Amino acid sequence: MQYGILDAPDFAMLKVRLEQPGEKITAESGALVAMGPSIEVQTSMRGGLLAAAKRKMLGGESIFQNTYIAQAPDQDLFLSAPAEGDMRVLELGPGQEFFLQSGAYVAHIGDSLQLDTQWGGVKSFFSGVGFFMLRVVGPGTLFYAAYGAIHEVQVNGQYTCDTGHIVGFGPGLTYGIRKFGGFKGLFFSGEGLVCGFEGTGSLLLQTRNPASLASFLQPFRPVNSRD
Amino acid sequence: MYYEILYKPTHSLAIAHLAAGESVRAEASAMVGMTHNIGVQTQGAAGSGGLFKGLKRAFLGGESFFTNLFTAQGAAGQVSLAPQLCGDMIVHQLDGHHQLFIQGSSYVSAPDTVQLDTQFQGFKGFFTGESLFFLAASGQGPVLLNAFGAIEALDVNGELIIDTGHLVAFTSGIHYEVSKAAEGWISSYLSGEGLVLRVYGQGRVYLQTRNPSEYGRSVGSKLPPRGN
Repeated sequence: MQYGILDAPDFAMLKVRLEQPGEKITAESGALVAMGPSIEVQTSMRGGLLAAAKRKMLGGESIFQNTYIAQAPDQDLFLSAPAEGDMRVLELGPGQEFFLQSGAYVAHIGDSLQLDTQWGGVKSFFSGVGFFMLRVVGPGTLFYAAYGAIHEVQVNGQYTCDTGHIVGFGPGLTYGIRKFGGFKGLFFSGEGLVCGFEGTGSLLLQTRNPASLASFLQPFRPVNSRD
Repeated sequence: MYYEILYKPTHSLAIAHLAAGESVRAEASAMVGMTHNIGVQTQGAAGSGGLFKGLKRAFLGGESFFTNLFTAQGAAGQVSLAPQLCGDMIVHQLDGHHQLFIQGSSYVSAPDTVQLDTQFQGFKGFFTGESLFFLAASGQGPVLLNAFGAIEALDVNGELIIDTGHLVAFTSGIHYEVSKAAEGWISSYLSGEGLVLRVYGQGRVYLQTRNPSEYGRSVGSKLPPRGN
């Protein structure tokens, strides 16, 4: 199998070549752009019904995922993410861990790669859209995408960031949700709650925030005149 | 302090590098991330004047009521900042002599050596509902601006007519008047251009290649209606 990311950073797309029959990749439903004629698609609920329902409820991800299996040699497959922005590949060795903001998941290779939704706690529920983390444990290959560019911060000690800008982070970091800029800041700073990271490791941020775009568009929605 | 701009032009991110004790002010909601030694104060206005100026800024300047003042405490620190929409950011250096007039939503950040005031341009499009407000930046230091789309810097010597939705900022050598796009009000309305700005003099004008209101109207109108 070969893969590469095309059209990065603004409109990244993943190209995968399944070289041998039986090779496969699993992707978020809706991620398919195009594929060769001899690829079988199997739709399933990742981790079974219960785990899939939990992911839908907590992470806002789709319940279903598609597995693309080559039926002939050299089949190409193209996958993309919903928003414009960059995409990355992460190779995880056995037992290696990575935390991914659940909306950033695109696809993965490897039957033994574990993807488990983590409930971020009551506070994170109020902190903004999509702050639910997928705990990903290797071995396997993970593909993820961001809204905007991906900015890596090497945290050594403590670091604060806006919850809407988190893409993922490596092991060695723990996080907590806290208020921003004191009491007044909570209501007026425009940030509300932020995420405080602690430890040593890599934190990946996206340079745009989907909730920000939504709040820009909100006043332009038509007003329902029936009420 | 200085600004570093990464990931230009579409998904630009600005990093304000602060030496120990230095401060930078930024529009509310622009913060992406910051080092741990940064102290944050949410303030009502651009440094001075308190509540009244804050109100004036919020209602007249089209900017957030509150700005955040970020201060590096005890050591150097960084604050990363990003705008709401896709597009470029630039730094305009104020030389202490010329002012910069900034269209309300194009302002992102500046250090405390830059004073911001609301320049009231009390003109509202009768048909279009477009309104035009400026922040006047004076003093010395860098001013961080954002644009929707790319930024074009034009050196004006003479006259230029600009659609208000595409204006980012202009320097104080330039005079302006708001006018209709076409001769009469009706044809002005029908032209779809609404208000235009007629600028003349000598100086620099920054334009953005996309218009946020046009974008909002074209996408937002297709969303389901808001409940009342």
